Amino acid sequence: MRLTLAYHAVSDMSFGDTTQLHGSSLSIDQEALRQHLLADRRLVSVDFHIVHPGDSCRFGVVFDILEPRAKQPEDGPNFPGILGPIEMVGQGFTHVLRGVAVTVLDEGAPLAGGKLVDMSGAAGDACPYASLSHLVVVPHLGPGLERHTALHALRLASVRAAVHLAGAAVGQPVATTEVFDTPGPVVAGREALPRIAYIGQIHSRQRVAEVDEQIFYGANTVGMVPVLLHPNEWLDGAVVISHSSRGVETYFYQNHPVITELYRWHRDGEITLVGTIATMAASDNDDRARNCMLAAQQAKWALAADGVILTKYGGGAPHADMALTARMCEALGIRTTVQVEDMSRDRRAESSQLFNYAEVDAIVHVGGNDTQWAVPAVERAIGGTLEAAAALGASQRLDAARLCGVVNQQGASRLRSFVY
Amino acid sequence: MRVVHYLNQFFGGQGGEEAADMAPRLQDGAVGPGRLLEQVLGHNTHIVQTVIAGDNYGAEQLEALTELVVAQVREAQADLFVAGPCFEAGRYGMVAAALCKAVQSELGIPVVTGMAPENPGVDLYRQDLYIVDSGANVSAMREVLSRMGRVATKLAQHQDIGRPTDEGYIPRGILHDEFVEHTAAERLVQMLVAKTTGKPFESEFTPPAFAAVPAPAPVADLSKARVAIVTDGGLVPKGNPDHIAPYAATNWGAYDISALDDLEGEGYEVSHRGYDTRYVEQDPDRLVPVDVLRDLEKSGVVGKLHDQFISTSGLANPLANSRRLGREIAAKLKQDGVDAVILTST
Repeated sequence: MRLTLAYHAVSDMSFGDTTQLHGSSLSIDQEALRQHLLADRRLVSVDFHIVHPGDSCRFGVVFDILEPRAKQPEDGPNFPGILGPIEMVGQGFTHVLRGVAVTVLDEGAPLAGGKLVDMSGAAGDACPYASLSHLVVVPHLGPGLERHTALHALRLASVRAAVHLAGAAVGQPVATTEVFDTPGPVVAGREALPRIAYIGQIHSRQRVAEVDEQIFYGANTVGMVPVLLHPNEWLDGAVVISHSSRGVETYFYQNHPVITELYRWHRDGEITLVGTIATMAASDNDDRARNCMLAAQQAKWALAADGVILTKYGGGAPHADMALTARMCEALGIRTTVQVEDMSRDRRAESSQLFNYAEVDAIVHVGGNDTQWAVPAVERAIGGTLEAAAALGASQRLDAARLCGVVNQQGASRLRSFVY
Repeated sequence: MRVVHYLNQFFGGQGGEEAADMAPRLQDGAVGPGRLLEQVLGHNTHIVQTVIAGDNYGAEQLEALTELVVAQVREAQADLFVAGPCFEAGRYGMVAAALCKAVQSELGIPVVTGMAPENPGVDLYRQDLYIVDSGANVSAMREVLSRMGRVATKLAQHQDIGRPTDEGYIPRGILHDEFVEHTAAERLVQMLVAKTTGKPFESEFTPPAFAAVPAPAPVADLSKARVAIVTDGGLVPKGNPDHIAPYAATNWGAYDISALDDLEGEGYEVSHRGYDTRYVEQDPDRLVPVDVLRDLEKSGVVGKLHDQFISTSGLANPLANSRRLGREIAAKLKQDGVDAVILTST
């Protein structure tokens, strides 16, 4: 399968009379975008803000961050199952607005512990999203909506806004392209190279997915078992984050750090990227045993992998499920590396590990509990509510885990934990 | 800098195993390895007092020895307490580490010791202390003392202590974050390719080893046993009277079930954020199976269901905390005459 990403670098984003891309200048017609989003009658109004790197600005609570992308119309749907019909993605041509993000805030989320982005200072330096220009979208929802209905409205608004914006790039000249091309598990001429796969969790059943919680080709993943995915499907809209978004944003599915890194090694002729498996963390023992077993078996018998990388989704139970999956892979002769974060509350190695399998011995540890910033008041704070904005704008201590992308489960973290 | 130094009978020049029962002896100034220590710490440093005791005495009279050492260090107005190095000497290591911990916590001054990683003092005290890795070879004394001196000086000057490999101490198991050049994804792939192709790789984390917990003897006769239910699934009476936190709980509760044959959902709630609690909230017997145990009690399979069940929330708890909760619960059950426990988790 061959996916070509057409990168349209955006150096300047501003509001204007029309939504269009001129060279690297993106102008946005707010009113047109507003009408587009308000087609969803659950929204009563929506505010937009443009934020640039280096701005003295903080915003939250973040529902999700997306990169504006739009498929070349004949090459497949955008966000199949949510926006478009359920057809395969990951092939053809997709237009990307580089350097830009659509960030949707959740006015209904409590500010305490809520995710945010800080665009400047020490926290900004640590936040991978601070180097992007953001269109911050603040949808205001009608009264009396159930929480999951409200969240579904945010999901719909997020993908609509991202695709709408990227529509400005369709038909424009393309300066840079990147091709993601691997035929899948059967690759001729690369027999000597290690066969590497990725097993990524896309939800944790500790929190039951709502009926309208669209995660995987529009499905809420209830009842789903691990499933084979072409790497390109992650990059091209098959998966978005669920309503529990600890350490994950859709932006890093579209730019999946593990998958893009595996592609780099694949192109360099060092490995063969043979495929990926999307799985779920369980909330009971049978589900756990089944998911872990099936993911490992697919890596072995469908992908014939020599090695797999595993990441989790959520907190402690997913952590343990990931480790059990890795152990089962090792038992089938597949070598593994896993990414963990610091799950302790006392920053002790002994409290942090959550598993202890001798064969799961290659661990990348992104830490997270030892990193805080004392951030100053900012000139501009954007919140879902005025109260949230006021609280966000004040000087305060910020924990790493609250800042999007710093303690990231998808592989984006530059943080590392060292044992002292 | 004023230093008090602790040595065992052997390094204190009082004799070998035959002197191991020796009661503590105080000497002004440096003794044996202390003279080297003074040299490596520099000319402004003086070992004002050396405490020497036999290994057996230390092991058997640790409380008295600790009291003495803390008093001496206080009286000497010391800025630093050093014990050892102890190399592989097990009794010496245990005592040296215990003394360091006591001085550190009671007087708040820097403490340093040294021993081989295999020394039993390491497992017990590594989290609390800087224990310099002395290796097993006593002839490395000068090198070991130099490392101990460097760590001690940094501690005394309130400087940051670097990574264990750089400073030469045994990892304490404390996590520190740092921003690094490569993303986690880059590190994952690099490590995996090395591992898959049989090349050396360095994990960023090595799980600590835990001592095995020996299983107790089986219950001799269940039909005469008092059986209690203990859960970490967070079931509490409505209103959570003991305020058990939904994660990292610091306490547990004991709740009366003496008059109940069955737990009803209306009377209980769940304080736990780590699992889908709906099914337990519908019917708490799913977590705390009072109904089934009453049946077993009536049919004589178990002697008696204990009058209380015990509950806490086992989510994201530091192990030190879990150990304490476990000890407290075990002591309470023991006191109540409970013979067997059914543990339910989530």
